[in-house]
Amino acid sequence: MFKNVCLIIFCFLILSASAQAVTIEWWQFWTDPGVKPTVEAIVDEFEQANPDINVKLTDLTWANGHEKIVVALASGRGPDVLELGSDWIAQFAESGHLLDLSDYLAKDSSEFHGYGMAAYKGKLYARPWILGTRVLFCNRSLMIRAGYDSIFAPVTMDQLKEAANKVHALGDDIYGWGSNTAEKHRLYKKFLPFFWSYDARLFSDDNKLCLLASNASVQALNRYKELHDSCGYVANQRGIEDAFLDGKIGFIISGDWLLKRIEKEKRDIDFVTTLIPGLKFPGRSFLGGEFLAINSATKNKDAALKLIDFITLPENQVRFCKANRSANPSSKAAQEDEYFKSNSHLQTFIKQMSMVKHPPVDPDWVNIESIIEEAVEDALFGSGLPAQALYEARLKIEALKKK
Amino acid sequence: MSLRPSSNLALSSPWLITFVLFWLFPLVYSLVMGFTDYQLLARSYNWIGWDNYRELFIDPDFLAALKNTFVFVLGTIPVTTVVALLLALMVSRRFRGRSFFRAGYFLPSVTSMVVIALIFTNLYQRGGYVALLTELVGLTPPEHGFLYDSSTALLSIMAMDVWMSVGYYMLIFLAGLKAIPEELYEAAELAGAGRWRRFWSITLPLLRPVALFIVVINTIKSFQVFVEIFVMTRGKFDTATVVYFVYEQGLQTQFRFGYASAASYLLFVIIAVFSIIQMILLRRRQSVW
Repeated sequence: MFKNVCLIIFCFLILSASAQAVTIEWWQFWTDPGVKPTVEAIVDEFEQANPDINVKLTDLTWANGHEKIVVALASGRGPDVLELGSDWIAQFAESGHLLDLSDYLAKDSSEFHGYGMAAYKGKLYARPWILGTRVLFCNRSLMIRAGYDSIFAPVTMDQLKEAANKVHALGDDIYGWGSNTAEKHRLYKKFLPFFWSYDARLFSDDNKLCLLASNASVQALNRYKELHDSCGYVANQRGIEDAFLDGKIGFIISGDWLLKRIEKEKRDIDFVTTLIPGLKFPGRSFLGGEFLAINSATKNKDAALKLIDFITLPENQVRFCKANRSANPSSKAAQEDEYFKSNSHLQTFIKQMSMVKHPPVDPDWVNIESIIEEAVEDALFGSGLPAQALYEARLKIEALKKK
Repeated sequence: MSLRPSSNLALSSPWLITFVLFWLFPLVYSLVMGFTDYQLLARSYNWIGWDNYRELFIDPDFLAALKNTFVFVLGTIPVTTVVALLLALMVSRRFRGRSFFRAGYFLPSVTSMVVIALIFTNLYQRGGYVALLTELVGLTPPEHGFLYDSSTALLSIMAMDVWMSVGYYMLIFLAGLKAIPEELYEAAELAGAGRWRRFWSITLPLLRPVALFIVVINTIKSFQVFVEIFVMTRGKFDTATVVYFVYEQGLQTQFRFGYASAASYLLFVIIAVFSIIQMILLRRRQSVW
């Protein structure tokens, strides 16, 4: 009799415990076999630490993840926690699909880089997770063949131009500069470092005037075009990186994924990474990244916040960065880890983080970037002069803003 | 034994429900959406009448996409039809290895468009085989590759499309050729008709229904060109077509479903008008033949 009572009580306890457990869904983009197990391990540990929370992990791809999120949010469903690209936050915040996390996130905002990209109309909507910037990759062998010291790396735009042309002079099949073709969502990330390094601005402080056609902007596009015309190897990002790894290009702008590729494919290439060149000193690079946000339709806000806190813990960010060879965790504490300090290339990325800018947090940014890319394409591949192309782009952006 | 009307309805209900839910409803719904400012992420939407259609006619991106689509259609259909007919005439004759050629020409039609587009992207790049062939005949290929130049990008995609689809239409022509009675050729030969005369007076007129079918389905298919553009250029270098425009508007930028729906229905009207004109013209020509 006693045994039966104990059994009933035990079953009751199990049932009541499981009834209290909540399940939250997290949509994320890390499907790489080298990274996914780490993400799963972090989630497993979270569940062990929080037995009342179950996490349902759903993978998205960069090819159609954005569409899936939009459709899910528009239908009023969607996951509790979302991994979002920095460019999407304003769009979803504007449409009211993200939870305002200002009160919760503001208290530890000084511990993370990149909160500027999550702030829209004075409110915080997401926590930065893994950030991404671009640096200059230089083929040292080609630089030495072109007459430079082994410790040389261009610091200014003039040095870059001179070095790229000297490298190009080495042979018909050697190019000084990797020039991106009209590749959507990529071309602007290559042009904006030039743009910002020339101190050009997209908008006035009050965000009302578009400054895309300023003298500084035209100078930046002129310099970008000079490199393209004089010694550019034109291809998409993958093609440029292929050619760089094959020793055909002297200088390219790329991200930390290239370090991962060099290591993974065991590429025998003598290269250095350095900060994006500027006018007199190193310039400014592009900043973007992955953010964790909460669907405004969630019924499990507390559990979702706990998950975000756990994923973005410094030690978990370091684990993730090691698995993905990412160079830029958002956590300032994570950046102090020995893993980053012991690698000179990762250090370049971390140093570049202090000289970066991110695009404006604007729901129309996807359209604005498209207009900027069209202007750059027109200047590089069409018949348009840089000044004319930027002026027309400015008119288009102003018309878009008026809408 | 005949079934009662209610039994007929019950038996056809699975198809009927599927048709209404997944075909008819989306069609009518998207038609209605074309008259609204519906955006996927917006909480509400308004009835705006013909505004979307009015905007389309002054939207430079749509007009450019429409122009590219017409260039694609008018450039590929005549070439595809003529080449397919020539190939069909060639492989309908008896010669050694005929099956090999038939299979060879047809093979691209059963290959994934994405795979073919990726292969051609490589062939068209700077230093690729097409560039080498161009140099061999004494011409200068585009500096950065065929797909990175506005003057050659769309033409390159059109050439690939002709190469890919010609085998399929060849097979349909071949079926049409087989259906022509051999006696007609024998009688014409006895009457002293040469090969050219037999082709003009027998083959071509009797292939009319097949040609009509090919031209109409190829027109519909060509007006809807998308995958090639998506994979090879993403609409860059003056290659965006109407369907790519719909995709961009509906799923890539502002998620303007209302506007994208209006563009889709405009394309539907254009395709319908073109198909009707083609049918009328080809029927008239039959009476001449």
